[in-house]
This record gives sequence, structure tokens and C-alpha cells, in this order.
Amino acid sequence: MAASSRGGNAASALLRRGQSSICASCRSAQFRPYSANAEAAATAEAHHLKPTEAQPHPPFTASRRAEYRIKSGIILTRAPLLTRNLTPFENAFFFYQKRLNERLVLPFRHTLFYKKDTAADLDWRIKFEERGRIAAKDIGRYYAQGRNAWNDELLVGSTLSDEERIREILLKDAENRVTEDGEEADPDEIVPVERPMDRITEADKTNDVRRLDRKLDRTLYLLVQGSDGKWQFPSEDVPTDEHLHETATRVLESAAGVNMNTWIVGRVPVAHLVTQPEFNEDTSLKQKGEKVFFLKGRIMAGQADLNGNKLGLQDFNWLTKEELKEKLSEDYFHSVRNMMADR
Amino acid sequence: MTALREVPRAGRQLLGSISHLKSCQASLRRCASTEAAASRPTIPDIEQESGLTAPIVTREDVQIVAPRKRASQRTHELPHERYRYHPPKYYRGPLHPVQPPPPSDPVARNFTPGPFNLPRLKHTFHSSVASDIMTLTYQHTPPGTPDTPERIRLREWDDSSPYMKNRPKRGPRGNDVLFPLEKDITWRNIPEIKAIHLAMYLPKAKKNRDHIIVGKSVLQTITGVRPEVTTTKASVAQWGIVKGDRSGVKVSLRGNQAYEFMDKVIHLVFPKIKDWKGISGTTGDSTGNISWGFDATTMQYFPEVEANYSLYPSKMISGCRFTLETTAKSDRHARLLCMSLGIPFYGKLVD
Repeated sequence: MAASSRGGNAASALLRRGQSSICASCRSAQFRPYSANAEAAATAEAHHLKPTEAQPHPPFTASRRAEYRIKSGIILTRAPLLTRNLTPFENAFFFYQKRLNERLVLPFRHTLFYKKDTAADLDWRIKFEERGRIAAKDIGRYYAQGRNAWNDELLVGSTLSDEERIREILLKDAENRVTEDGEEADPDEIVPVERPMDRITEADKTNDVRRLDRKLDRTLYLLVQGSDGKWQFPSEDVPTDEHLHETATRVLESAAGVNMNTWIVGRVPVAHLVTQPEFNEDTSLKQKGEKVFFLKGRIMAGQADLNGNKLGLQDFNWLTKEELKEKLSEDYFHSVRNMMADR
Repeated sequence: MTALREVPRAGRQLLGSISHLKSCQASLRRCASTEAAASRPTIPDIEQESGLTAPIVTREDVQIVAPRKRASQRTHELPHERYRYHPPKYYRGPLHPVQPPPPSDPVARNFTPGPFNLPRLKHTFHSSVASDIMTLTYQHTPPGTPDTPERIRLREWDDSSPYMKNRPKRGPRGNDVLFPLEKDITWRNIPEIKAIHLAMYLPKAKKNRDHIIVGKSVLQTITGVRPEVTTTKASVAQWGIVKGDRSGVKVSLRGNQAYEFMDKVIHLVFPKIKDWKGISGTTGDSTGNISWGFDATTMQYFPEVEANYSLYPSKMISGCRFTLETTAKSDRHARLLCMSLGIPFYGKLVD
């Protein structure tokens, strides 16, 4: 679209704002308006245009729009903060590859990394001797150039390849073993290094589903409970003068407050949910259908706050994919599950 | 002939009504399919649990009393099976019946061990970055939109001469290189890190060979891969360089090594650079490879160099060129990948 025509569209949109009933994205797209007569005729037989088995995609008419309410929602996610736990097979495989590598690489030259007769050099020598003169820290007592080098496979039940064991070894290795005088430190002088924080947090132990620091290696999704007690993603009607992503931003703000640092990923919806309209016996509209388009958001900091929200929400939860499946109805989950990552 | 072939069928239709060998009524029929549907199979079609999560053999299953002791007491290698496969010494082409095993197979002559871990950056990429890139670059085409034909970039022959028949098409005018076309990103072609190339140019190595040794040791320390020495390609009298001089070192990292190194650069090196604005927005070779440079002071921010900086002659440490090779086909997509991994760009973005 040329720049001039874009300006023209904006101007005409302002002029016809009062009577406009077309949404913003339809207005800018190529759209053939139906004549008033045709529209009236189509409204009369609106129920014929429902999707049937013979015709799953009925023609788009102006009247069909009246049967549905367009809504925009947001799926706010917290990306995983930790790497996942490796499977026992992966651990064993990586361990085996390390031993194979040890058989093929050139010997480790510690002079390249430690200057002679320095504290670091002495420190390394102490640990090297303790490991049985093996340079690698995590392959156990395995002499790659020795007589038994062929015996490189792990035995059943061996814990040598455990992640937990390797973590302990590395923590032990990080301790400084040399005193300030440049001598080997006594066991009571060794200061243990600070341990990394636990993968399982306080929120995991108490199963506090409102906290963001739970399930650190999984993606969490913000789920809210409406006034009718139903769990859902926050969503609201799209006014005719707004785009989907603008509504999604507004919905998030009105539902969960402004105390969050969020990022809406792109402007396109990642999932949609259609509820079919209901008709009376005399083919008049009983209840409008709904088309909800979900955008994807990421939360970087902050926390959801439902106090004084405008959507009448009661409660919120941060849930993983499996927990969502239990909270949401089957149709609802089925329509959004494909946007969810495995982890 | 066709009429004759139809005769038996017509006869069957005529006689069918009076034949006593009729098939039984539909209501009384017992079909195997209906019975199968009625009784649910007890065994599920797809295995629910992954076999990788739990070890298949446990200690309880093994009858030996002390396996570790028994293994340690064994003085000789276990006897092999009678036939030991030796991969062919030479690769004789894709059509030869004897093919060498892949380099991941321990019996292969070119066996390279690995992988040794699953890089942290790869975890991030697969869990959040990949899906975000797909969402960001999604282009909606309404159903029923006809496909736009691909732009023909090769020039056709105009058939003015009979010799032009079946000739391969000519390349574009002016430049004989066809740059790759940028495809829309789908789940099949999300840009990923392919390789990282580091190169140092050391012109002072002509006077003092030690520059090569220091450059090699710096690159080997930070990457863990043995670098190659490069030579000058052409003589230039004004610069005092002669063709064939050993004047630099380079190293390439691929796969997991590239991911690990990129992680180190993004999270340990970039944050330490003083007054760093980011990567220039004009970088890139328009086929999805982003390049930048590290100066000599930046090299000491690599943790391996930082740990024993005093070991190196500080005046001999030189900067290096850094090329990030991605699977993206355009700079735009490569930059999107870099930004989502945490590399900022500054200035005007040029594609």
C-alpha cells in the first residue's frame, strides 16, 4: 500500500468513525462491501451459513459477522529459567563420549594454563595428585593410555555419570587448597565454595501456584479465574477501532495490573478458539458465538496483581502445560495446546 | 471383448436372486472389525513412557556378586567376536558397495568423540527462542491465495539459434553469483547457529615468529580447538608482505562447540567491554553471516585468558575477527537470531 493511500485510509477512517462497523484490519484489507439489500437478505437466512459437513467453510458474508463476537486474549508466559534435567541415558552417553575423547586427545599441558611455581600451579598439582594423576575431573579413575584403557564402559548401577556427582566434584575442585604462604592448606583451613541455588525452590515445596519462581525448568502460563468461576486466559472484546495486539495489551493491563515488565511477541495471534452461535427454533439468533484470538506474551519481571481489575477476575495461577490441561476445558485446551512448548 | 468380459457379471446378477448360495442377512453378519471395536485392546498402540528416562537394566537384574571387582581384576581385554569390522581405508564414492561408517561410529577411521553435553544456549534456543522467532516472522496468507511464482533470476536463451536448445540457463547480468533467496521462516527452517570462525592477522609475525605462537595459544585456550596457521595470499611491496608468509592463525568451531563459545561471548565477554554499544547494524554478508571484531584488550576478557593473563606477553596478544555463520539465508533473519540470543545492534540496520 502506497504511503499516500495509507494516509487517505486513516483520514477516511476518522471521518466515518461514527457509523463504522468494520474492524480495523478488515478495513485496511481488500474488502468488497455488500449492498444494503443483499445484507438484509443474507441476515434473513443467516442460519444457512453455518458450517456444515458438506460445506465446512461457508462463504463469508456481512451477516455472518453479526453472529460472532471477536475477542482478543493474551497467553502470558514465563520462559524456563533453568536447563532441563538430563535423562540417565544422556548422562551415560556423554560420560562414555568423554572417556573415548580421553583416549584420543593430546595430553593436557598444564603449563599453558598455570605459570610455574605459582599458587595456582601448586593448587592444581595437589588436586591432580588426588585424582590419581588424571587431568580430567569427571571421568573417574580411568587411565586412557594405560593397560586397561579398553575397559571404558560403565558397569550397571554405576553412579559415575550422575549429574549430581559431577556437580559435587566440580564444587570440591573449586576450593582453594593453597594458603597465603604458598603452602598446602590444612583440611580445617579450606573454605568451601558457595553452592549454586537449589533447582527446587520454596514455591515448589509448598506448591504455591501464584508464585513465579516455581518449576524453574518449565514454561509457566498465566491463567485467570473469571467471575463465573471458569479458568481461562485473560480476554476481552475487540472494539472496531483497535487491532488485536492493542486489545491484548489493554486486556493484560486491565486484568493483571501494570506491575509487570512484559513483551508481546509479534502482532499475530498464536491460537484461536471458536464457539459456535446458538439459534432458536425460528432460526433467530439465541446466543452469539465467540472467536477468541490469543496473542503470546513474555513476562520478564513483576507479578500479576488482580486488585481492582476491570474484568471481574477472582484469582490467577502460574501453571505448566500439564497443569493447564486439568484446569481448562477440553475444547479450550485443545485450541491453545499447539502454541505451547514441550518444556 | 469388453462385452464378453461383462457376461459373467451380468449372469450373476440375473441368477443371483434365485441362487440358494446367498450371503446371509446384514443383521446376522459377524464382522471381525465390529468385534474388534467392541472389545478394547488391552495393550496401547503407542508406548506411553520414553525408554530413555529409566535405565533398562538395574543392579538387581544382574546375577554377578561384585561386577566392579570382577572387571577390575580382568587383565586382558574381553575376547572379540570372530569377525571384526574394519572400515575401508579409502572412500570410493557414493556408488561403491563398501561405504565407510559415519564419523560418530567409534570404529570409523575418522571417529570424532562427542557430544559431551547439551549446551545451555541450546536449551534456551529450543525452549523459548525458536518459537518466538516463528511467531515474530509469521506471515499470514489467507486460504485460497494463489502462490506467487518464484522470481526467475537465471536468464533464458532466446532460441534464435538451434544450438541454444537444451542449454543451461545463464547467470544474472553483471554478477555471476546467485545469492540465496530469503524464505519465510517455518518450523523447518528456523535460523540456528551453524559455525563460528575466528581469525587473527599477525603482520608482525614476519619480524618475530613468536607472534604466531602467542596467537595460536590464545585461540586454542579460548576455543579448545587447535588453530591453523594462515599464509599471505599476495605480495604487496608497500605493506612489506610477501606471498606465502606465515601471517595469521584461524580456527573454526561447529555444532555444540559453537554454541558453547557463543554462550561464553554473550554472557561473559560482551558485558565486560567498556562503553560497548553493540554490534554494528551494517555488518553481514547478506547471506546470513554476521561478523565483528575483538580488539586486543577485549581478548583478555575471555575467562580462560583472564585467569592467567600474566602468562602471555601482553604486547603480543592481538585482536581477532569473529564470524558467526548461521543457517539463515539473509542478514535480517540472522540478526533476528542474534538479537533473540542477546546480542544488541546499533546504528542503521542494513540488509
